[in-house]
Amino acid sequence: MELEKISVKWFVEQPNTLPLTDFIDIFHGWIQATDGVYHDVADYSHMQAGPGIVLVANDANVSIDESDNRRGLLYSRKSPLGGSNQEKLRAVLRSALENFSKLAREPKLGGKFKLLGNEAVIAIHDRLTSPNTDESFAAVAPEIEAVAKNLFGGAEINLEREPDRRRKFAVRIKASRSFAVDELLRRLSNN
Amino acid sequence: MKNQITWKEKLSERIPADLGREIDIFEQQMELRKQGKIDEKVFAETRLRRGIYGQRYDNGQRHDGNRVQKLNLSPDVIKGPDTLWDAPGMMRIKIPFGGITPAQLETMADLSEEYADGVSHVTTRQDIQFHYVHIDDTPALMRRLAAVGITTREACGNSVRNVTACPLSGICREETFDTTPYAKACSRFLMGHPDTQDFGRKVKIAFSGCAQNPCGLVTMHDMGAIAKTKVVNGKVRRGFAFYVGGGLGSVPYKAKLFDEFLPEEELLPTMQAISRVFARLGEKRNRARARIKFLIANLGIEEFRKLVLNERQKLLPDPRWTAYLASVNEQTETALKPGVNLNGHQRREGFDAWYATNVYKQRQPGYVAATVTLPLGDASADQLRALADIARRFVKDTLRTTVEQNFLFRWVSEADLPEFYQAIEAIGLGAADAATIVDVTACPGTDTCKLGIASSRGLARELRFRLGEKSLQLDEAVKNLRIKVSGCFNSCGQHHIADIGFYGINRNVKGFQVPHFQVILGGKFHDNAGEYGVAIGAVPSKRIPEAVLSITEFYVRQRRKDERFQEFVARIGKKAIKDGLEDLTKIPAHEVDRSYYSDWGDPREFTLADMGVGECAGEVVSQAEFTLAASERELFEAQLLLDAGRSQDAVKGAYASMVRAAQGLVKDQNPSISEDENQIIGEFTKRFYDTQLFWDKYAGGKFAEYLFKAKEFIGAGAAADADRAVQLLQEAQLFIDAAHDCHNKVRGPVQSAVTVAAAAQPGA
Repeated sequence: MELEKISVKWFVEQPNTLPLTDFIDIFHGWIQATDGVYHDVADYSHMQAGPGIVLVANDANVSIDESDNRRGLLYSRKSPLGGSNQEKLRAVLRSALENFSKLAREPKLGGKFKLLGNEAVIAIHDRLTSPNTDESFAAVAPEIEAVAKNLFGGAEINLEREPDRRRKFAVRIKASRSFAVDELLRRLSNN
Repeated sequence: MKNQITWKEKLSERIPADLGREIDIFEQQMELRKQGKIDEKVFAETRLRRGIYGQRYDNGQRHDGNRVQKLNLSPDVIKGPDTLWDAPGMMRIKIPFGGITPAQLETMADLSEEYADGVSHVTTRQDIQFHYVHIDDTPALMRRLAAVGITTREACGNSVRNVTACPLSGICREETFDTTPYAKACSRFLMGHPDTQDFGRKVKIAFSGCAQNPCGLVTMHDMGAIAKTKVVNGKVRRGFAFYVGGGLGSVPYKAKLFDEFLPEEELLPTMQAISRVFARLGEKRNRARARIKFLIANLGIEEFRKLVLNERQKLLPDPRWTAYLASVNEQTETALKPGVNLNGHQRREGFDAWYATNVYKQRQPGYVAATVTLPLGDASADQLRALADIARRFVKDTLRTTVEQNFLFRWVSEADLPEFYQAIEAIGLGAADAATIVDVTACPGTDTCKLGIASSRGLARELRFRLGEKSLQLDEAVKNLRIKVSGCFNSCGQHHIADIGFYGINRNVKGFQVPHFQVILGGKFHDNAGEYGVAIGAVPSKRIPEAVLSITEFYVRQRRKDERFQEFVARIGKKAIKDGLEDLTKIPAHEVDRSYYSDWGDPREFTLADMGVGECAGEVVSQAEFTLAASERELFEAQLLLDAGRSQDAVKGAYASMVRAAQGLVKDQNPSISEDENQIIGEFTKRFYDTQLFWDKYAGGKFAEYLFKAKEFIGAGAAADADRAVQLLQEAQLFIDAAHDCHNKVRGPVQSAVTVAAAAQPGA
């Protein structure tokens, strides 16, 4: 079993008072600072619990996601990744955190974009290969757990499958304590 | 968890054989295109007929506000001219007459998450669209749709598009009869029919159960049918008041009455005959003149009718023409629960306001239809799944999409409404704004459309927000107005039929491009899109909310008792309203406030570069700008003449305004150009038309041709009725807009006057 189309959502610390539309300017700035990586910025700030503000690219979208009425940075990988499943999971977790870290340092956000460092949701956007079933969970949980234990080293880890079978297959990782972005990134880089 | 199974294998039992075969063929065509074995243009039309549309930046370039970036996409394979294979595209999904089931909603939710950006967008023609879709994903996407009974076939391209119908069909208190079975039969009969495969452009069809309400918008369609009955030999017979040749687009045409009573058994054969005539005689090369409306304008309705009736006689009988009629009287839908009136049930806060705007009492006692408004027509995957649950809980599968980009839940027991409201409010869709000024309709505009000039969705979002904040305080007369926004003149947002409509244009302000919207007043949503509005002037995009406030406050102050907005506009006159907007046409200088020089929700300095124009430049020639402004004034005066019932003078005025705009452009290069119209047109033709400097990237020379046609018309001394005058005024407006664009294109700081002059030489 091979994982593709993996997304990771890292949540922001509450209270979260930043207007969603603040991220539009920032994402356009990211586009200007790169060369052909990103396609566009999609604004869904008018939707409740929607996709928020999406920075669209060919390989992966980055968005300030509002689904479940919880804001977070969602990194959605679209193009295939190489390596083992654990390597892919680490790569996506790392990319998501790197984008989070970049936003956290963004002067326009005034230090108000902070990571809730004890929780992440990994999802697979492919119901053919990864239906939201107990079987999928049984197959993938050990790989996610291995990556999560390393990522949240020393903390207790709890994995929960998305209970609504109609929603995409997703696993929520909860750690018993919170970690800073840099620490999480360092742990991912060391493996 | 990759395994060998594919969607094709997994769904093989659930996909109808014919749909499955079509998708297999398309998948093969994709492969052949990748190998270069199918011509790019042929493949482009092929994919369009499968509903796979291009999207902004799919030529691999994007202006980031400072420069044009080349996107990291492989240039090796293309899916059409200037369209890279890997560039994201749009997928349009036909929903005939808007009928959709909970299972289909759930499929849409899944597909939007897996292949798009998580959003399903309801269009102004009852379709659903996904954006940012990779073409390689489309066969799987189409198979999953086919498995729940949906096809994307002929959703785009030169074909019969989604057949729309009034969403109240079957439950309406005023309809003559339920048009649903007819819309369904028409959709099935014409889709893939050999006689509908050789059109020069698209054909849009709509059904309405009555003449007076707006729901079907029949008069703006290529073919439109309004339910009607007639007593023949003592028996009530069903039929339709049947219209042809309507259409919005850049120049709107109202459909002509083809037959005041077309018997039901003649509906499909007549549509088939029209298709054959259109395929045979319709324009094929000049896409700008290829809709049925132009064929009818050329032939005249009498000649067109004669040709169609002649064609009808030649058709071999087809059992499908009438097979469905045996069941048209049957009730197609059933309710989940008994109809019980709302009486003393506990109501949440906000319920009464929502009930007042979003609930329609069905003709069936105890039942209501409830509109769930989708902001800008967008629904998330989670919202769609929740709506599917709500449908199963309250109404089974009796849902419709609407042309106002919402969902209509039919057959709700009125007593269930408080719980229904609670359920939709919980997913953020409980706004009390259906059929109000807050529920702004908008096409995708510059968000995703390649032809978009200004941000229609950005403006709609802003207007929704501002008007929504004060919706409870709005005067009732204002609350009931409709606003519709298009990102360009093509009218996908249906701006012509709004009380207050807008379409995006570009204007040059002291050397900078500034997004503007033309303000359109006088349109009529009622009476099946009974009147088309006309432009009264351009306002900078960022000042449009103030313009809306100004217009609506003026209306509240000056309206007579029970005077409708169209009546008010007609009485007060467009000049008075335009005068009221005069201050709003001015903006601070670029160095003072740059926000006016970017569009809503997009911090980039405004440019048309993403449309492929606006990159060249020239110097500021104030004389030319002055003349262009004069042309707008002249056109406005022509509008006033038309309002005064002086059609002939209005036509002359509109033509003169076009000549004036052409003169403005010529002045750029020949400051001594005379006032002689023949010389002006001659010079314009030589310098701007023959050189294609005036050409629009997509519309080609269409706008210039409006001038040439008007000259011919005036020269022939033909009499102009009001319809012709309205048309000519619309064309004049587009010509002037194009003149502004052209002027912006050839002037500007990066290109010297010498270069402009060289570029203007024929053959340069």
